[in-house]
Amino acid sequence: MFKFALRNLLSRSLRSFLCLMGLTIAIAGMVGLFSIAGGLEETVSQTFGKITGIVAMQPGAPIPLFSRIPRLWGEEISQIPGVAIVNPEIWSRVNIIEGKPVISPPRFLLGTDLPSRLALKKGIYRDAVYAGRFLSLEDQGTLNTVVSRQIAEQHHKQVGDTIDVNGQEMTIVGLYECGSILLDIAIILDIEVVRDVTRFDPDSVSCFYIEQTGDVKNEVLVSQIKDHFRDRELASWQPASLALANASQSNILKDLVNVIDQTLKGTTDAPAKAKRKPDIKKQKNKPSAAGTLTEKTVQAQSALEVRSAADWGDRLETFTADLDIFLGLMTGIGVLIAMLSIINTMLMSVMERIVDFGILKANGWSNRDVMLLITAESSLLGVLGGILGGMLGLVAIFIVNWKFASQVHLYASPGLLLFGVVFSTFLGITGGLYPAWWTTRMTPIDAIRRG
Amino acid sequence: MSSESCRCMIEVRNVTKIHQSGETEVHALRGVSCQFPGQTFSFILGPSGSGKSTLLYLMGALDEPSAGEIFVQNRSLSTLNKNERDTYRREKVGFVFQNFNLLKNLNALENVLAPYLPQGVSTEQKKRAEALLKQVGLGQRITHRPSQLSGGEQQRVAIARALLKRPLLILADEPTGELDTQTGEEIFNCLREVSEQYKTTVVIVTHDERYIRDTDYILRLRDGKIGDVPFIVKTLDGLAELNVAGWG
Repeated sequence: MFKFALRNLLSRSLRSFLCLMGLTIAIAGMVGLFSIAGGLEETVSQTFGKITGIVAMQPGAPIPLFSRIPRLWGEEISQIPGVAIVNPEIWSRVNIIEGKPVISPPRFLLGTDLPSRLALKKGIYRDAVYAGRFLSLEDQGTLNTVVSRQIAEQHHKQVGDTIDVNGQEMTIVGLYECGSILLDIAIILDIEVVRDVTRFDPDSVSCFYIEQTGDVKNEVLVSQIKDHFRDRELASWQPASLALANASQSNILKDLVNVIDQTLKGTTDAPAKAKRKPDIKKQKNKPSAAGTLTEKTVQAQSALEVRSAADWGDRLETFTADLDIFLGLMTGIGVLIAMLSIINTMLMSVMERIVDFGILKANGWSNRDVMLLITAESSLLGVLGGILGGMLGLVAIFIVNWKFASQVHLYASPGLLLFGVVFSTFLGITGGLYPAWWTTRMTPIDAIRRG
Repeated sequence: MSSESCRCMIEVRNVTKIHQSGETEVHALRGVSCQFPGQTFSFILGPSGSGKSTLLYLMGALDEPSAGEIFVQNRSLSTLNKNERDTYRREKVGFVFQNFNLLKNLNALENVLAPYLPQGVSTEQKKRAEALLKQVGLGQRITHRPSQLSGGEQQRVAIARALLKRPLLILADEPTGELDTQTGEEIFNCLREVSEQYKTTVVIVTHDERYIRDTDYILRLRDGKIGDVPFIVKTLDGLAELNVAGWG
C-alpha cells in the first residue's frame, strides 16, 4: 500500500514537492525557533553546572551587575557555619574597548578580591586559563588582566599585549575560555583597581561569591545566610535613574538648599554623607519623588538574595516556559499554513483521481481501504517533511552558531527533532483526512462515470 | 414462456433505478425483471440511454436499485451490508470497462493484483496473475505501465484482473467500444476462451451485435424497460429458459 502511495505521490512530482517544501520549511522554522529556548537552557545549564558556589546579591537584582550590597557584610557571611570562602566581586559594564563602542556581545569588568579568589577550591575563571596565567597576589593594585579567548580574538590580542578598556591601558597576563557565552564576557582585574576605575562606591560590592565547606546542604546554607540578614534593611534593586534620585534621601532641590544653608552656617558634612550611603540601614524608605518599593516588602524579606546554581536554573525554567509559549504561537502560524497546504494538495489530487478510486472500489476496495491509501500518501509527505525540516533546521542552527558564536547559542535537542518528525507526520495524516473522507461520499459507479 | 430457472445465476425482480440530477429525475430502469443463466455468455443490447449499463452495474453491486431486488445465486444483493458488498465485488465479480480503467501508476502485473493490495498480495496470487497475463498474450509485458500498452493490451490486462479472483461473474460494459474491429474480435475471443475455461458467467453490454453467437443469451432494453421488439431467446440445448416479465 505504501509503495502504491509513494508512486501516486511521484506521479505528481511537482505538486508533491511544493507541498513537501511547505511542510519542511514550517518544521524547520519550528525547530529553529524552539532551539532558541533550547540553546538558552543548554547554555545556562552548562554555565551553572560549572559554578558550584552560591551568590549573594541585592534582592530583586536580575544579575550582579545591577546589585549593590555593603562590603562589610562579607565578614559576617564568612562566620556562618558551612561557608568556606567569601569572595567579593564588583561588576561594571565596559563601554569602549580599543576605541570602539561595545554593544553586542556585552563585556564586563569583573573586579575580584584576589586573596579569596585564589583560595577557592574551584575557581571557574582560574581553572579555565589556557594561555599565560591567572592573576596572582602580585597583580593587586595593577592593571594586569585576564580576558577570554573571544575578547582576545575580537581585538587581535594575545598574552603580553595591552588592551584599552574604558580608557584604561590594561596588560593581558592570561587568556581563559569557559565555553559559555554567559561567562566568557569578563575582563578580570583586582577588585580595588576596578573600584577605582569605575568610581564604584568604596563601601559596596556587587555580590559575594560563596564557596561552601560541604558540611551543610546548599538549601540549608542559603536559608541560614538569608535569615542572618533578615533584620537588615536594604532597598531592593531599582532602575539606575530611580536609585540616583533615592541616593539623596530627598529631592535634589532640597539638597541644594541644604548645602547652601550649611555653607552659610559654616558646616559641610551631613549632606555628603547622606549622599554616599544610600543603601545602608536606617534608611526608612520614605516615599521619594520617583516612588520606590514600600517599607512593608523590605521588612518582610531578607536583605540579601542568595542563589545557588539550582535557583538560577529554576528561574530560567520559568522564563523559557514563557518563551516557549511565545515561540509556540509564532510557530503555530507556519504550521497552520503547512496544514492548509497539505489539505489543498491532497484534495486536488483526490479530485483528479476520483475515477481511480471508483475503479478500486469496483474491484473490492472498501471506503476504509481508500481512506488508508490517501492518508498513507499524506503521512508520507508528513514524515518526509519532518525529516527534511529537522535537517534544514539543524543546518540553519549550525550556521547561526558558527557565524555568531560569541553572541548566541542555539540548540535543538534530539527530543525536539523527534517531536518535529512526529508532529509533521501528525500534520500529514490530519491533512489527508478530509480529502480521504470526501472520496467516501460517492458510490463506485458515480466515481467511474466521472471519467 | 415458463419461469423455470434450473441454472439461473442472476435473477432481476422488478428493478427500478431513478437517478437524481438536481431537481430532475431520470428513470434509468422501470420495473425490469429477467434472469441470466450461469456459465454462459449473455448480451444486454439496446440503444443509448436504454439502461443497459445501469442494469449491469446493479448486478455488480456498484450501485443500488431504487426499487426491486437482484439475486445472485439466490442471494439478494439488497441484504448485503457494506463490507459484504465490497467482498462480493472483490471475490465474486470481475469488471471490464469500455475505457479499460487501469491504474496508470501501476504496471500490468500490479493492475491485475490491485483488488488484493490492501490485504497484501500472496506469492500464489502473484504467480496466478503472471500466468493469466501470459494466457491473454501479455507474458512479455507484465512490467509495462498502461501508457506503454496498446488499447487491446490494456483491455487484456483488465480481463486478467477480472479473472484473477476466479469470479462467478464477469460484467463487461462495451469492452470493445474503444478498439478497432480486429482487436475487438480478439478481445471477445479471449473472453470466450477464459470464461469457458473458468466456467464463468459473462454478461456483456454492447451496441455491436457482430460478436453474438447462436448459443448466447440476449436481453434487449429500451427506455429502461424490456424492449417491445420481439427479442431473440436462445436456449442452450434446452438447459434453461429466459423468463421475462410480461411473457407467460
